Amino acid sequence: MFIDIMFILSALLTLGGAFGVVASKNIMHACIYLLGSLFGVAGLYATLGADFLAAMQLVVYAGGIIILMLFAIMLTGGHKEAVNKFGLDKIPSMGSVKTFLIGSFSSLIIGSVVLKIIASIINSHDGSGKLPEFSSSVEKIGTLLVTDHVLSFEISSVLLLGALVGAAVISRPRKQ
Amino acid sequence: MVSLPSFLFVSFILFLAGIVVMIARKNVIAILLGIELILNAAALNFVAYTRFINNNLEGHIIALFIIVIAAAEAAVGLAIVIRFYQIRESIHIDDATQLQS
Repeated sequence: MFIDIMFILSALLTLGGAFGVVASKNIMHACIYLLGSLFGVAGLYATLGADFLAAMQLVVYAGGIIILMLFAIMLTGGHKEAVNKFGLDKIPSMGSVKTFLIGSFSSLIIGSVVLKIIASIINSHDGSGKLPEFSSSVEKIGTLLVTDHVLSFEISSVLLLGALVGAAVISRPRKQ
Repeated sequence: MVSLPSFLFVSFILFLAGIVVMIARKNVIAILLGIELILNAAALNFVAYTRFINNNLEGHIIALFIIVIAAAEAAVGLAIVIRFYQIRESIHIDDATQLQS
């Protein structure tokens, strides 16, 4: 019962945040709606018994990525409407009716294909939905990370180092 | 209520919202927001499957690596956006027409 209520609240937060990202006209508001959606996904992780993953989702996304995005938005002029320099057609930077029609049409096509795929899974699933009982996953994840998945662990650390150096090199102002 | 199809449905809607944001927006940072939504939908699928189907923790590991990759992608993407803004004074995607300034 508690799990059901938690699932419904998290799913509503996730889908509402995603709808806010789609529909908001201000990039700053869209970023805050994305934060709500990520909180909802963290709640869904907690519903699934992935406690460590929910904590990591909150720390990395809310503490890292959203702050980074807000800084980038403020450094690039915030909500100021960008004007197309070529003067061919002035599409507003948050999308127009035409681009939203194109987007929803292509998502309709992709969505029908994906529905075709997951329909067989939903039909073959017995629908009992019994959750195994909860046990903390932190210790098991730590053990798995340094035994079975140690190669991908090291590769991801090299990837993070490369991303750090690359971001610093790219965003540095060029000498004349 | 809490079963695999409900999680698949939430992830499906999240993925479609990300697709719409990625295609419809003309702001580079908003496109990055759409990419974050899509990555979250994929990670949610992994965790739901590993909970309901085989009940080991492989999906948690994959979702952890997805979070790491999303962080790296956001850092490099926003660095490119800031550099692009320094050169073209705009973050409109239609202004990105040259590979070199």
